[in-house]
Amino acid sequence: MKQEITENDIIAMTNQVFEESFEIETEKLQPKMNIFEDLGLDSLDIVDLIVALQQKFGVKIRNDERARDIRTLEDVYRFILSLKNEEH
Amino acid sequence: MKRVVISGVGAVSAMGNDVSSLVKGIEEGRSAVHYMEGWNQYTGLRSLVGAPAELINKKAIPRKNRRSMGRMSIFAVQATEQALADAGIKHDELASGRIGCIIGSTMGSAESLNETFEIMLPQKDLTQLSSMKFFQCVSHTAAMNVSQCLGITGCVLATSAACASALHAVNVGYDLIRLGKQDAVLCGGAEELHPTVTGSFDVLFATSSNYNDNPHKTPRPFDRDRDGLVCGEGSGILVIEEYERALKRNAKIYAEILGYHTCGSGVHVSQPDKNSIVLCLKEALASAKVSSKEVDYINAHATATIQGDREEAKAIKEVLGDLIPVSSLKGYIGHTLGASGSLELIVSLAMMEKGIIYPTLNLDNVSPDCQGINHVMQAVSKDISIMVKNCFAFGGINSVLVCKKLK
Repeated sequence: MKQEITENDIIAMTNQVFEESFEIETEKLQPKMNIFEDLGLDSLDIVDLIVALQQKFGVKIRNDERARDIRTLEDVYRFILSLKNEEH
Repeated sequence: MKRVVISGVGAVSAMGNDVSSLVKGIEEGRSAVHYMEGWNQYTGLRSLVGAPAELINKKAIPRKNRRSMGRMSIFAVQATEQALADAGIKHDELASGRIGCIIGSTMGSAESLNETFEIMLPQKDLTQLSSMKFFQCVSHTAAMNVSQCLGITGCVLATSAACASALHAVNVGYDLIRLGKQDAVLCGGAEELHPTVTGSFDVLFATSSNYNDNPHKTPRPFDRDRDGLVCGEGSGILVIEEYERALKRNAKIYAEILGYHTCGSGVHVSQPDKNSIVLCLKEALASAKVSSKEVDYINAHATATIQGDREEAKAIKEVLGDLIPVSSLKGYIGHTLGASGSLELIVSLAMMEKGIIYPTLNLDNVSPDCQGINHVMQAVSKDISIMVKNCFAFGGINSVLVCKKLK
């Protein structure tokens, strides 16, 4: 049976993407951090963030309009959580 | 027309990650050619040797600059930083618009190109493709990345002409400075070793395949037992600068660029052609206002292919005679393709400075079809005032540069 992914898993796996793909220090990865202003990502990084999240969570988000509203790290967690909930 | 001098050098090669290790390795007569582990998994790849450079300190380049770089662009940035430091040019001068950046390569990052196809082609799916692949794969990737990373706002050009790319970069930079369009130009080439790159020559039977068990014995430029080229990688960057500017800065001047020529063979895409090489050599000497008798050293292109070495030797014999010392550096660091012109020019400048000519490594028995020129088979002391650098590329592209040591 497929193991249910928890909210904590999503946070840990998302943080891993930010550490591995964007070389951001672990201590900076706080939920309220703005991914542009605080974590320094730009528009090109967002394309790669989407690719990395797709691979990490096995989801398709490239054409999902909701991805445009993402501002904070918490927004990323919530977005992935809602996608995972939609799978059920 | 303004005069143009070379005032800085930087290099990453299979011999090491700076100019001094490159020159030292060659001076010691070492070969940086190795058996390439894992290449035997490619069906039909006969040549399993290469001269790999070591990728080090890549994280010294900020992530936002590094993300668009393949291996070759990282080499190019590192070589450029060395060249700037050597020339004593500060980073804040690079945003003046008067300093350009011209770096050639055969193509973009081979590793990134392969990764792109591996991601995209199996399912014909683009949704997993990073935004950065484009920037790593384009033909101007090295020039673009170096200029962005260092904040260069002058002319940025990429001279893609396979094995003549780096020398073309120097040629173009020379013209820009002569014409007063730029005060200084960072120019050279970069290249990446990859089984698909060696493979592209291998399918044409232009690579060395008889020495997989004895890699230090190949390539063998001008030798009787040569059997083709061995690919290498790295980057060589030169700072070329308007003469008066260099004097004013009290910069170290390696040499003055006297002239160059480039021409197409118009004959065949891969078969080298003596007649067009003769033309290129003659025109380069004419452009430099130098007679063949005044030349002290010829740094040959000689990659150890059967036809290429033969045609080059015949052309040198016809234009420059049998007295001027000739050597090729491919035996030490392989054929670094788009970087070869600048890496080998940098070593030639070291020879000029030291008054010593490094021999052609692995040239044990001069091939009958390469005789009639003065092959350097052992290091010789010689004052080099004027030197000629040859580069010839697939596509019938010839390039010859003439430099002179300033007293």
